[in-house]
Amino acid sequence: MFKRRINYRVPRNLLVLFELLALVLVFVYYKDDFNRNILMLGAALIAMIYIASFVLLRISSGDNYIFLIVTMLISIGIIMIYRIDPELGIKQIIWTGVGILLFFITYFIVKNIDGWRNWILLYGGASIGLFLLTLLFGNRIKGSLNWIVLGRFSFQPTEIIKILLIFLLASYYANHERYKRVQNSNYYLVGVLYLFIGFLFIQRDLGTVLLFYSIFSAIQFIYEEDRKLILYNALFFLISGIIGYFTFSHVRVRFETWLNPWIYIDNKGYQITQSLFAIATGGFFGTGIGLGYPDFIPEVHTDFIFSAICEEMGIFTGIGLIMLFLILVYRGFKIALNQEDKFFKIVALGISVLFGIQSFIIFGGVLKMIPLTGITIPFVSYGGSSMLASFMALGILQVASEDLDLEGIGDE
Amino acid sequence: MNKELRRILIILTSICTLFVSLIVYMSYFQIFRAEAVKNNSYNKRLWIDEEKILRGSIIDRNGKILAYSEKSNDDIYKRFYNYGGLYSHIIGYSYREYGKVGLELEYNNILLNIDETTPFHELKSIVKPNTEGNTLKLTIDHHLQEYSRGLLGGKKGAIVAMDPKTAEVYAMVSFPDFNLSNLREEWNDIMEDEDKPFFNRATSGAYIPGSTFKVLTAMAILEDLDPNSQYECTGSVTIDGRTINDYEGRAHGKVNLEEALVKSCNSYFASKGVQVGKDRLGKLAGDFMINRQIPFDIPAAISTFPNKENLGKVDIAAASIGQGKVLMTPLNMALVVSGIANKGEVLQPTLVKEIISPEGEIIQNNEMEKISNGVSIFTANEIKNMMVEVVRRGTGTNAGIQNTRVAGKTGTAENPSGKSHAWFAGFAPADDPRIAVVVVLEEAGSTGGKAAAPIARNIMVEALNTLE
Repeated sequence: MFKRRINYRVPRNLLVLFELLALVLVFVYYKDDFNRNILMLGAALIAMIYIASFVLLRISSGDNYIFLIVTMLISIGIIMIYRIDPELGIKQIIWTGVGILLFFITYFIVKNIDGWRNWILLYGGASIGLFLLTLLFGNRIKGSLNWIVLGRFSFQPTEIIKILLIFLLASYYANHERYKRVQNSNYYLVGVLYLFIGFLFIQRDLGTVLLFYSIFSAIQFIYEEDRKLILYNALFFLISGIIGYFTFSHVRVRFETWLNPWIYIDNKGYQITQSLFAIATGGFFGTGIGLGYPDFIPEVHTDFIFSAICEEMGIFTGIGLIMLFLILVYRGFKIALNQEDKFFKIVALGISVLFGIQSFIIFGGVLKMIPLTGITIPFVSYGGSSMLASFMALGILQVASEDLDLEGIGDE
Repeated sequence: MNKELRRILIILTSICTLFVSLIVYMSYFQIFRAEAVKNNSYNKRLWIDEEKILRGSIIDRNGKILAYSEKSNDDIYKRFYNYGGLYSHIIGYSYREYGKVGLELEYNNILLNIDETTPFHELKSIVKPNTEGNTLKLTIDHHLQEYSRGLLGGKKGAIVAMDPKTAEVYAMVSFPDFNLSNLREEWNDIMEDEDKPFFNRATSGAYIPGSTFKVLTAMAILEDLDPNSQYECTGSVTIDGRTINDYEGRAHGKVNLEEALVKSCNSYFASKGVQVGKDRLGKLAGDFMINRQIPFDIPAAISTFPNKENLGKVDIAAASIGQGKVLMTPLNMALVVSGIANKGEVLQPTLVKEIISPEGEIIQNNEMEKISNGVSIFTANEIKNMMVEVVRRGTGTNAGIQNTRVAGKTGTAENPSGKSHAWFAGFAPADDPRIAVVVVLEEAGSTGGKAAAPIARNIMVEALNTLE
């Protein structure tokens, strides 16, 4: 126990050091409107993260690295968001606090309630309910109809549905023996996926379409015994992609601006070319915090935060961010491999794929390596929904990292 | 390994591969593509930095302001050009929308006082940001530039006037030009104009030189053959079954080298050129920067002599009189006559005389630099004397100035368009050269002696009278 605490103390302290240095830089940049409140918030952020990881070490016998990795991601994100817009930065600090709270709440609820594997219909029903709610009451923000506005707050139901989808898949494959008796149940599952994708397509949320499909395919690839179905699924997705390309102009635009954004530099290629300018200007070491012009990029605090990080902190920090996600995904898979309980094993896999693919889609998008589809970087981009949902997922992953004695409910 | 474990590892490996490919792509982008992306004129970062710096002025050799920047009401600097299209091909322009050309491009860092980006300089610029750029003092004489452009009288063509002893360019005109101040309004018209106003004819117009090239052939003949041997000109010469005619088929009778140059005798130079051979001609052409990149303050095209190609006798004969595959830029021709005027040595032409810091200090002075050995002082003198005779009693009499010995050579270059180009290249005074001039009138349809020589004469007179 003692040795273990030593091991975690070193990275935790390094993290505090990093945050102190970076916050000082940001404060220097905003030295003109510096005040006590900002200092308090900065200190609160550091304290919050430090205490949370300390508490976590006490209460959870599971993996303690994933929380550390995530706090590092959050630190980089907050520093950049604060530099772009101090007001948003403060909000993001508050969201982080709420997120950490939600992380612990999720952790306790998921850990102490039994029977998660049995509520497949609930997950499916809730998802469809949320989708319908979005369709009925949704507001179109930035071209995507995926926001529900409740008074002062707005949230994206798809963020929750991501987790529901993972639970749905996990409860299906954890109870595979039982569902196998229902004829073609695996085809129904694919049907449900395409129902979800259909809803997302109506919302014009192509990034999430790609994400849902990736999570589904990954789990299906590992657990589906009917290998033909995997092939059908891939072919079907490809064909619908091609049909979508020719039928819907917003799909076509994504491809055109990916192949050659420079000829559309004044209009539809504007965002991506501005992103490339930022990354190119940053070079390997960046211009330094406050010395670049990330605010030239539209939506820089959410989808394009990675470009801003590359401009001011250099692509070495960008590569660092990618590496952090790589380690996070690796830890997630390790958790899955060590988990005896099949439901939580699949949940851990799903969440790892979620973090990995979601970050890849947006990293690749702003770099113009793959077509750009708007999606947030978990823990890094500005946004409450994204932050809270990511922390919920992390809380669940934390549960999955522990030795669970939930066996014997009769699935295998 | 069981099936489940194997498949999980496959998925993990795939995701890792995706991440690694991101890192590889990012590094590739940064190393190979970033430079070009960064310098795209749509990148507002380039401008936001520049517009905070007072871009240096551009002045002529006497201190007359040709281009300057001033703070506009939205607190950024704006560029102003004082003389419309007069300097469109020298100074060029610097506009946010259209980028930069000319000296504005080539001397951008100096005009903005930006050093090469090293970490040290970046640190320095944070501590003490530079706010004012350097001034460029040109070798151009504003009066002569304006006067020369006026003499072209709206005709397509180019003029280069320089000091033969220093190769400082006094005037360089390319017409048609374009108004630097109205670029935004006229951009599309200029782009679509068939006469290509953007094209710098003086540095990049590759023209068939016609008889002006004979001064080069003459130097080769002078060095290799007997210049005094008599040749019987019958008005045409037949080489390998192809006939090369003299101008209007005129027979010049018995001529030696000097008489042949004075009368611009095609038959003489064609047959002697074949005798000298393409390698010798090519070597001499190279000594005067033909087939070589002329180092210059703004981009210059390379003149060509086809000695590397497999030439028949007819081709060599044509090349010897400046026809066929020979192409020369007016700038290069100015270097040829300046070289002859300068005892055979070819100097690097310059447009920028001094770089002056915001504090008024001269931080860089143009050093005279020899770029080629050209020919011996003996050859140069001999040819010079023959060129004096060309102006005194030959095809170039229209370039003659009273009481001043002028050396020159005319050219009337047949070209595929049907209307010939009119050339004159020369310098004055022959004994102590102070001004070298090249005039090309594109598709003039007239001879060099009639159309180009008078213009060159007026420029030389003006230069000798006004330059100190």
